[in-house]
Amino acid sequence: MLALWSLLLPLAGLAGLVHAKSSSGDSVLVVLEPGLPKEDFSVFFSNLKEQGYDLTFRAPKEVTPKVIEDDIPAFAHVILFAPESKAYAADITPQSLVTLLSEKTNLLVAVGPKTTPLTSLASEFSLILPTPNTPLISHFPKRDTPATVIPIEVASNSLLTAGTPPVWFSGVSYALGNNPLLVPILAAPAESFASDSTEDSGADALVDASEKGGEGLWAGSATSVVTGFQTKDGSRVTWVGSVTLFSDEFAHKALPNGKASGNEQFAKDVAAWTFQEKSVLRIESVSHHHVNGTSTPDFYTTNDEIVYSVKVSKYDPKTSSWKPCTCRSDIQLEFTMLDPHVRTTLVADPSDPGSYTASFRAPDRHGVFKFVIDYKRKGWSSLQSSTTVPVVPPRHDGYPRFLSAAWPYYAGAISTSVGFVVFSALFLAGDVRDVKKGKGLKHE
Amino acid sequence: MPVAYPLPKDLSPATVANTASLLRIVALALISGAAIASRLFAVVNFESIIHEFDPWFNYRATKVLAEKGFYEFWNWFDPTAWYPLGRVVGGTIYPGLMATSGVIYSFLHAINLPVDIRNICVMLAPGFSALTAWATYMFTKELKDESAGLLAAAFMGIVPGYISRSVAGSYDNEAIAIFLLMFTFYAWIKALKQGSAFFGTVAAVFYFYMVAAWGGYAFITNMIPLHSLVLILMGRYTNRLYVAYSSWYAIGTLSSMQVPFVGFQPVSTSEHMGALGVFGLLQIIAFSQLIHSHLPSKQFKTVVLGSVISIGLLGTAAIVTLTVRGSIAPWTGRFYSMWDTGYAKKYIPIIASVSEHQPTAWPSFFMDLQFLIFLFPAGVVYCFKQLRDEHLFVIIYAVVASYFAGVMVRLMLTLTPIVCVTAAVALSELLDTYIDPQEPDASAEVADVAAPSDNASAATPSKKVKKAAAAASAAPSNPISDLVNANAPAKTKKASKSRGIFGLDTRIAVIFNTTMMLLFFVAHCTWVTSSAYSSPSVVLASTNPDGSQHIIDDFREAYYWLRQNTAEDAVVMSWWDYGYQIAGMADRPTLVDNNTWNNTHIATVGKAMSSSEEVAYPILRKHDVDYILIIFGGLIGYSGDDINKFLWMVRIAQGVWPDEIQEPNYFTPQGDYRIDDQASQAMKDSLMYKMSYYRFSDLFGGQQATDRVRNQAVPKVGPTLDYIEEAYTSENWIVRIYAVKKEDPLGRDLKSANAFAEGKKRKRTKPMTRRRAII
Amino acid sequence: MRLSIFALLSLSLGLVAAKKSPQEELTELAAAGNGVIKVTNERTFDLLTLPSRNWSAAIQFTALNPQRKCKPCSEFDPSFTAVAKAWTTVSEPERSDHFWATLDFDEAQQVFQKLSLASAPVVHFYMPLAGPRGRAKDTPLKYDFSHGFEAGPLAEQLSSHTPVPIPYKAPIDWASWAVYAAFGLFFLVTLPLVAPFLQNRWVWAAGSIVTSLIMTSGYMFTRIRGMPMTSGGQWIAAGYQSQYGQETQVVAAIYGLLGGSFLMLTMVTPTQTSPARQRTQVYVWTAIIFVVYSILIALFKMKNRGYPFSLLF
Repeated sequence: MLALWSLLLPLAGLAGLVHAKSSSGDSVLVVLEPGLPKEDFSVFFSNLKEQGYDLTFRAPKEVTPKVIEDDIPAFAHVILFAPESKAYAADITPQSLVTLLSEKTNLLVAVGPKTTPLTSLASEFSLILPTPNTPLISHFPKRDTPATVIPIEVASNSLLTAGTPPVWFSGVSYALGNNPLLVPILAAPAESFASDSTEDSGADALVDASEKGGEGLWAGSATSVVTGFQTKDGSRVTWVGSVTLFSDEFAHKALPNGKASGNEQFAKDVAAWTFQEKSVLRIESVSHHHVNGTSTPDFYTTNDEIVYSVKVSKYDPKTSSWKPCTCRSDIQLEFTMLDPHVRTTLVADPSDPGSYTASFRAPDRHGVFKFVIDYKRKGWSSLQSSTTVPVVPPRHDGYPRFLSAAWPYYAGAISTSVGFVVFSALFLAGDVRDVKKGKGLKHE
Repeated sequence: MPVAYPLPKDLSPATVANTASLLRIVALALISGAAIASRLFAVVNFESIIHEFDPWFNYRATKVLAEKGFYEFWNWFDPTAWYPLGRVVGGTIYPGLMATSGVIYSFLHAINLPVDIRNICVMLAPGFSALTAWATYMFTKELKDESAGLLAAAFMGIVPGYISRSVAGSYDNEAIAIFLLMFTFYAWIKALKQGSAFFGTVAAVFYFYMVAAWGGYAFITNMIPLHSLVLILMGRYTNRLYVAYSSWYAIGTLSSMQVPFVGFQPVSTSEHMGALGVFGLLQIIAFSQLIHSHLPSKQFKTVVLGSVISIGLLGTAAIVTLTVRGSIAPWTGRFYSMWDTGYAKKYIPIIASVSEHQPTAWPSFFMDLQFLIFLFPAGVVYCFKQLRDEHLFVIIYAVVASYFAGVMVRLMLTLTPIVCVTAAVALSELLDTYIDPQEPDASAEVADVAAPSDNASAATPSKKVKKAAAAASAAPSNPISDLVNANAPAKTKKASKSRGIFGLDTRIAVIFNTTMMLLFFVAHCTWVTSSAYSSPSVVLASTNPDGSQHIIDDFREAYYWLRQNTAEDAVVMSWWDYGYQIAGMADRPTLVDNNTWNNTHIATVGKAMSSSEEVAYPILRKHDVDYILIIFGGLIGYSGDDINKFLWMVRIAQGVWPDEIQEPNYFTPQGDYRIDDQASQAMKDSLMYKMSYYRFSDLFGGQQATDRVRNQAVPKVGPTLDYIEEAYTSENWIVRIYAVKKEDPLGRDLKSANAFAEGKKRKRTKPMTRRRAII
Repeated sequence: MRLSIFALLSLSLGLVAAKKSPQEELTELAAAGNGVIKVTNERTFDLLTLPSRNWSAAIQFTALNPQRKCKPCSEFDPSFTAVAKAWTTVSEPERSDHFWATLDFDEAQQVFQKLSLASAPVVHFYMPLAGPRGRAKDTPLKYDFSHGFEAGPLAEQLSSHTPVPIPYKAPIDWASWAVYAAFGLFFLVTLPLVAPFLQNRWVWAAGSIVTSLIMTSGYMFTRIRGMPMTSGGQWIAAGYQSQYGQETQVVAAIYGLLGGSFLMLTMVTPTQTSPARQRTQVYVWTAIIFVVYSILIALFKMKNRGYPFSLLF
């Protein structure tokens, strides 16, 4: 199912038959620095336009259109192709870009070897950029281009079209911190390293230096050149180490083996993921009820059998609509009070597409419980849902009334009652004089 | 027969008796009026509002009862308290108070008086104080006579020791419990005097009411058996005692077990074992007496007696064994801490932390009881002089209650009634002596006192009648004569031949002195009540420089802010003192409240408050805390604030996490508790300190900021907050509310996120070494 | 830092003739001091708190020199020594995993300065930094004296940090048991003699009255709070919520006097057969009541400054 989707989507996009649109809006602001004419990226931009995006261009120092005003973002997506701009208009600062992200705007950011305000922003995303002016260098495979222009094999990745040819890259690589929100998309080749010189002799010195501490070593496939980042609010950022990756020049440039490069396809895939076309899930509704009931109660009693179901849908860019998604099999439900008391897998309901159900017995513990779904998979939008429901002890008449274990007590109560009646009867029916005698004794 | 002053002689005894009873009724009515009126200061000065902390919960529970009916109340599970544990309210409260208000509410609505439930709750305590005065009257009447009863009722009506817990709006269990206490004791004495199963049952029924209303019922549970035991030891066992005790114990225990919160405790905890043991002892004694009266054979009697004693010993041994084995719960901490006074501080800091569990200094006694406190021993002496069964009860009560009141301020409440009773007895004895117009013969020895009916005074007619009756009646051990002859014991009669006061001036001197003391007492009570005990503590009052009253209403201001501006399910964390008020006034879920049943949960809050932000944040997130509410008095000098309670939070947290929280860390190296520049690092890092002094020094505009509670200079550079942000601060800064920040969308810790937002450059990082991956 | 410790170590190795590990050296020191290592110089202290230690150490900082006038120090020292002695009964591998040491201010002043300690007694518990019980943080735990200076709570508290619980048992207090037994015996022997005395109600009355007088004048407060009889020449504690031992006595006496005067007026005066003497008595007692009551009010006014009423004074 998954494979089918991932096949179908780009095919449809390639054919240009369908206008694929983002799930979060079509307006895109492209911040292009003056040194980069937009004609150089015509393939990328026209592909976006074809898909139905509404592109607005502006230079970093221009004041309008504002990217964010009064904390309300003006665009659904922002492309920052300004790897060398040192100064921006007042509305674009690292801080405002983070605010954009928390307001559900997506970002596609290109960085370069030069130090810009974006360099400091990158570290907030646990991206560790090399020292300035140290582009990525690789001498393999043998080719006629400079060492800084590298064809990179595209490893298979659920975000990318399978079988994408290698892409041309010329820019910086960066190391990744251990932030779980990072989604690596394209790793640097194993033979590559970051260096300020194209000479091989310099490379050895670099390795030595890094071993002694001091500057770190940016080398090998551990570093990344294209990395996604999905914030906890659901917005996405993609950090690209090279703006030329999207250029017409690289899109048309043939690979060393003579075949066409994958840049155009790769750029489209990256944009599709970043702009929330792909791998977008959401929870439509959740419901819970007793096993043999349908209505949602205000509370459960301890040890009740509970059925919980959730409807998940996935965004379909082809039709710009949300389709029920039975595509995940590892969604889990937790029934939590401080700690999960029950953790169970939600099973897809075959009769109802997109619906997942779990049924379980409430713990023998009263309190305020939460049904928690916290589904996080790399590349996929996270699913989060929390429904609070109290679990109460049984009512005063909700306990079993007669227990066989309590017979001694019943027997005791009955015998006492019978004894009392018998005693009263005997006492009342007894000889009056006897009674008086007894009373007299009492007074002594 | 000389008299000090002339008396009207043409009054028939019937007229005297009728007038006396009319005067008694009028006096009682006036006492009730005074009792109620003096408790209305709070309403007059402020408004008709629920006071303090616990009453807010009682009020909330009563609303549920009034709205949804008894069964829903019974099964009420409150998911907003002790979030997320919830609280089974029906099983963890004494429902007597709410049930009482519920009944009154239903009754008033049934007769078409649409009274608001709040007003019933506010006025319940004053209403019951009138009943308490009446019950005290009945009780004292059994000890001495009606005039002593009236004095006792008057004392009880206005004594500050009782008013402190029963002003209008103080809607707490004690409000009705003291009436129940006094009435149960009255019924017990009555039952004991008459050997009446009926009064025994009445005592049991009121005992049940008391159990349903107040945890202090254990006082009755142990007082009555103790009294019975002393009677037995003194060789005063009678069948009257047997009937009274058996009927009270059997019915009282069975009915008390119907209260869910009490359950099987009467047969399974040590506090109740004394009552059970005395019950068993009485059965054994009664049985041996029966044998004794039926079997003349001496040898056989010895055998029976021996077996009876061995049964008793076996029973005691069984109880001890069961306690050791754990089937019978040992004394609870609260109870135990009354004997071993150091126990609570060591093992249950949460109990020791409550201010009303502190020992009592003598000014508190004098403040609450004034001149009654030194009349009290005189009354006890009077009881020793009489020493009938009921006087023994008063003596035991007096000694036990004065010990308890000394150990715990709160238990002043149980001492107050007996002080009123004994003081009234002493004072009435004095007045009897000095108002009595007849003078003894100076030449003495032959004065006739036995038949003074011809010159009976209007003031003490009943006494004279009774004296006459007493003269005619048999020995005082006869129950009927006991009943009739409440006043005149045989001894005084003999002595009174030569007893009496000469002259009018002496009488006037003593009576004047006494009257002045009584008037002073009234003035004292009025002053204490109006100045000390009528503050609702929800609303504070201060005096402006020009002498006018200034109302400080920060609490309600803040609670209403919460109610209006936060999500309905927003969880508010505060120290437990404010839990009930937040639930009652702000209607928001709280982590902990004044029902301190879960020590760990309270310790969790204490840990969060006393740890640094980084440590506290995961705790806050885990408990879904949205807001933190603290009380800060540093600006206007409100001393009951959280910084002053902070050490208790630390102590309670330390009890659960001794490795992480340590009390000495919060003191300076010199061992001082400081908040200024010299404050210890742990203190300065703690969430509570940061929340209290956040932005505090800004208020002083560059001048030296001073905390007016602790009289210390606050550091110029105030604390900074990363994980929480200020949401609201009330007018006088008494209540400060902080919102817990959401997690950072980029997965950073909030400290570095904050640093970034403020534009601080991050230190360059290096990629992690992944040398191993290459090999 | 590290270098200096190496230097120290080599120094220590040089000093001790045989090549001993620090732990062995400490074990010897402990054995010599009957379970407690007496720290007299900085070196021993550094040895105890070595950064590579795999043992824990409880160090008492004290000032036992009478000139220092540290009463709590001398009060606490026997408890510490007793607990440390109890530790010597632990079997070997665990015993040398934990050391007890005491450090007197007059012998190792520089250590006090190094740790910037300004008060004594203080007990620091150094957790091991290496080995199976090793901790990452090198900050000593401070013993909390809120449970008093007794050995029982000390052993109980520290047991949670030592390798095995401290086998400390409070010595049986034979003396007090003997006193109790003697009293019991004495009571039994003299029972026939005192029996009529015990059966006298006025004996009991006196007992009850004294008890309630003492209780209502705040005796329990002074006991629970451990208030002194007087403090700094003052016998009246400032403040409404506080009092000294002396106050209990004075207030109890005043209450007793007032109550007694009332009793005199009620019980004794009326039995007086001479009118003149009776009149004198009545006036005397009334005057006493008035004057003593005024004193009481004045006393109360000193405690509660806002009290608006006063009589004579």
